[in-house]
Amino acid sequence: MNGIHDLGGMHGMGPVDAETDEPIFHTDWERRLFAVMMATFASGIFNVDEFRHSVERMAPAEYLSTSYYEHWLHSLESVLVEKGHIERSELEAAWSNAPSAAGGGA
Amino acid sequence: MPAVAADMVTTIFMGGASARVDAEIAAKFKKGDAVVARNINPAGHTRLPRYVRGKRGTVVTDYGVFGFPDTSAHGKGETPQHVYSVRFSARELWGADASSRDSLYIDMWDDYLDPA
Repeated sequence: MNGIHDLGGMHGMGPVDAETDEPIFHTDWERRLFAVMMATFASGIFNVDEFRHSVERMAPAEYLSTSYYEHWLHSLESVLVEKGHIERSELEAAWSNAPSAAGGGA
Repeated sequence: MPAVAADMVTTIFMGGASARVDAEIAAKFKKGDAVVARNINPAGHTRLPRYVRGKRGTVVTDYGVFGFPDTSAHGKGETPQHVYSVRFSARELWGADASSRDSLYIDMWDDYLDPA
């Protein structure tokens, strides 16, 4: 799809900010998400192309204003709902109980 | 699909997973062939960047047979086919202002290409 993810050749995005001594994870929720993502992926619920397409379907403004692992979280939530493994209402209930410092959905 | 055992995790994460498919599929192109990227605009998933559509390049490497993301993202099967490294000059992609010395090597599936 001709989505916002296909940024090649666009101008005005600012410099690529290379981080010195960049950590693998910036917060603990990113570490946890990585594990959850790999566990669900290994179970065969979805394939990598379905996962990528789910990222592409994010609303453009949200896509541009969220981080790499927030894209993962969005995609994981979408594929698990779409494939019937969790209900959207379960997800919304979990989010409403989440401490705000957890960030994530932003 | 079986669960991943703890002792498999390091191997998987350090080595990565491959979309390579063990199938005898004829290649449509070979090293040195002049090709043009198709101008397709599918509403679904594709790994064909917009900026390369309609542009001419040269096949540099045939990587072998891989699953096709455009179909596997939508439950339409792997559609195994050859993937190539295709060289596009910066001037072909970005015009006369681009450096004559620069080029991009883009992974291209058979279904993204036509003979030039």
